[in-house]
Amino acid sequence: MILDELEKRLRPPERPMPPYPPKYIVVASGQPLVIRQARHDDFPALLEAVEPLARVRKDFYDIVASRMYAELLGQYIHRVVDPYCLVGTIDGVIASIVNGRMIDEKRGMSYHTLTIHRGLRCGAHMFAAKMEYHMEYLGQDEVFIVAESFIGFKRWMIEYQLESRPELQHELGGAPSYVLTRALYDMYKPRLVAGTRPVPPEILATADELILPDEYPQIPGYKR
Amino acid sequence: MRQVGIVGIGHTKFGRMDFDLVDIMSWAALEAMKDAGITDGIDQVFVANMGGSAINHQTGIASSLVSRIFLEPAMAELIENGPASGSSAVKCGYMAIASGMADVVLVVGGERMREVTGWKATDFVATLSHPDAEYAYGLTLPAFAGIFARAYVERYGLTEKHLATLAVKAHRNASLNPFAHIEESATLSGIWDGPHRDVVNPIMADPLRLYDFCPVSDGAAAVVLCGLDVASRFTKHVPVRIAGIGQATDTHCVHNRADMLDLKAVRMAAERAYAMAGIGPKEISLAELHDAFLILEVAESEEVGFFERGQAKAAIERGETEVTGRIPINTSGGLKAKGHPVGATGVSQIHELVKQLRGQAEAGRQVAEPKFGLAVNFGGFGNNVVATILAKE
Amino acid sequence: MVSTRDLYAEDRNVYAYRCPKCGVLYHPAPMVCKGCRNRRDPSEAVFPDFEKVPMGGPCRLLSWTRIYALPEGIDRPSIAFGIVEFDNGLRAAGQLMVADPQSGARLIAKSGLVRELVGRDFYGLQLFEA
Repeated sequence: MILDELEKRLRPPERPMPPYPPKYIVVASGQPLVIRQARHDDFPALLEAVEPLARVRKDFYDIVASRMYAELLGQYIHRVVDPYCLVGTIDGVIASIVNGRMIDEKRGMSYHTLTIHRGLRCGAHMFAAKMEYHMEYLGQDEVFIVAESFIGFKRWMIEYQLESRPELQHELGGAPSYVLTRALYDMYKPRLVAGTRPVPPEILATADELILPDEYPQIPGYKR
Repeated sequence: MRQVGIVGIGHTKFGRMDFDLVDIMSWAALEAMKDAGITDGIDQVFVANMGGSAINHQTGIASSLVSRIFLEPAMAELIENGPASGSSAVKCGYMAIASGMADVVLVVGGERMREVTGWKATDFVATLSHPDAEYAYGLTLPAFAGIFARAYVERYGLTEKHLATLAVKAHRNASLNPFAHIEESATLSGIWDGPHRDVVNPIMADPLRLYDFCPVSDGAAAVVLCGLDVASRFTKHVPVRIAGIGQATDTHCVHNRADMLDLKAVRMAAERAYAMAGIGPKEISLAELHDAFLILEVAESEEVGFFERGQAKAAIERGETEVTGRIPINTSGGLKAKGHPVGATGVSQIHELVKQLRGQAEAGRQVAEPKFGLAVNFGGFGNNVVATILAKE
Repeated sequence: MVSTRDLYAEDRNVYAYRCPKCGVLYHPAPMVCKGCRNRRDPSEAVFPDFEKVPMGGPCRLLSWTRIYALPEGIDRPSIAFGIVEFDNGLRAAGQLMVADPQSGARLIAKSGLVRELVGRDFYGLQLFEA
């Protein structure tokens, strides 16, 4: 590949990151939620899926969607170092997105969890998948986490009993960092992390081409 | 005594509503008045609400509602009786008409709980428990449900599959009810025997799981009552008669009941309602039972006499409480899936029974030729219960 | 004048209340005896208060739960609760401090700090393995 010299200088160095092997979770409706790593060619669809929620001024959707949009764009045009994004789909439709990045071999940085399809605990499953990626595939010992919503705080900080590390600056801003340690992950994994691998080909195929949601429960009357 | 009937019903969708509490209630009230074919002529308004002051920082809600929809100078009061507020308000409406103090009464129940986080809402509902002997420990209504469920399971052998079957029923009925909070279906393969059951449907109050609980909802429901002697003023619908109302209380602290599985207030409220209506449980065509926790649907269905103690599970296995079963229960989706805005719930149950008795329920959840409907509205953890029987006239 | 020691002293007991007229025990305290209708006056201005009897000791677990969604103000992933019956027939709810509880098990109830409220620690019954 030929890379422009200036573009080369603007891009952060890339380190190889172990892939997140896809899995699926049978949610309450009986449908499989397929969770896989987002590919480079997924990002235009992901950005389009996130954008409408940036204007939802409740439950902190606006700030989470705005920031995730910028983070995904940053990953897409190579302006973030060692990022990743996982996408969850139901019948191929984007249900939830999570992202973060690798600080170094032993430490990870969790960014955001954004759930479009509500009512099936997709957000909880996706956050757990993100922690699974850091701990089991990137082989890290700690993940830095910060919450921007009440539900995020209660769910992650309380459910996982994260360690408070107010002295650590999280990349998302001034809020104090919390840390998921390997010991905590191992303790809460049976209750919070699920999934089956490998994903049968016919189920995985449904998630190959991302489908944009036609409706957003967060935006009454929205039609794509 | 003067006979009382229901001539108008109104309902908002349950779920998340970003409107003022009184606006939500007003919507349901105006829908009920429209259904009754009136724009005025209300003598008395009873408003059922539990959390207006604690959650929404609003008091004097009944006066506010009357003014918001221009019903002055109607008499108006707020009825707060915990989660049984709705049925208590209907009872008050009945008494006002039966006594001759009013001819036409509007009853509105509503709640706006999602203005606060779910944890704050849980805390707010828990304030109905004993402040020192229960609440201060961190005991909540879901905790009492867990304690009750364990005792029930150990005594009668109810299984997780029975409860999951009820959850599937509730979600299916709710999916057919345009007013229901929950629109997602639930399947046994997802919540009971699926490969990821323990994470998808985790234990929340051991032995109860997530799908055994109702959601936290906003919403309102309303009914217009009138004396049957003046029912000729209302020509849109044949009135549905209030055939019986019974109410009973029990100990505030759950631990002070000789047998914690004995929901005495449910049984006595139902017996009083049956006695007033002059019928028994066999005559009931369908029931709305207060299932904030599915274990309550099981226990209440026995206390009101549909099944012998410990036999509800066999009825679940036979599908007897499905819409097409012998005694359909919670055709609306129940609190479990329709939602549970606490002050609205009792009125919403009456709304559902009227809809069913009129034959107006949506396809797939209309009970065939119903004659009598029973509603059980369960306050506290069973310490104040109202049972209401409606009759198709 | 109240001494500083008295001012900050905490009563860490959990009490049952005995009717001074007929001897029946209650938990929590009622305002009148159910049996003999003898009235209780917490201020002791008009009637004597009921006799306070510290609760605790051997008991039997009637039923229990562990909850994983706690209300506002309790930032813990789970708490277990039980309802127990003491040998004198008195019943109470308490926080269950047993890893693998079984209904019917013999336990020991002790008073302990169950919740820290603003400006006040709340002592309640905690239930331990016998």
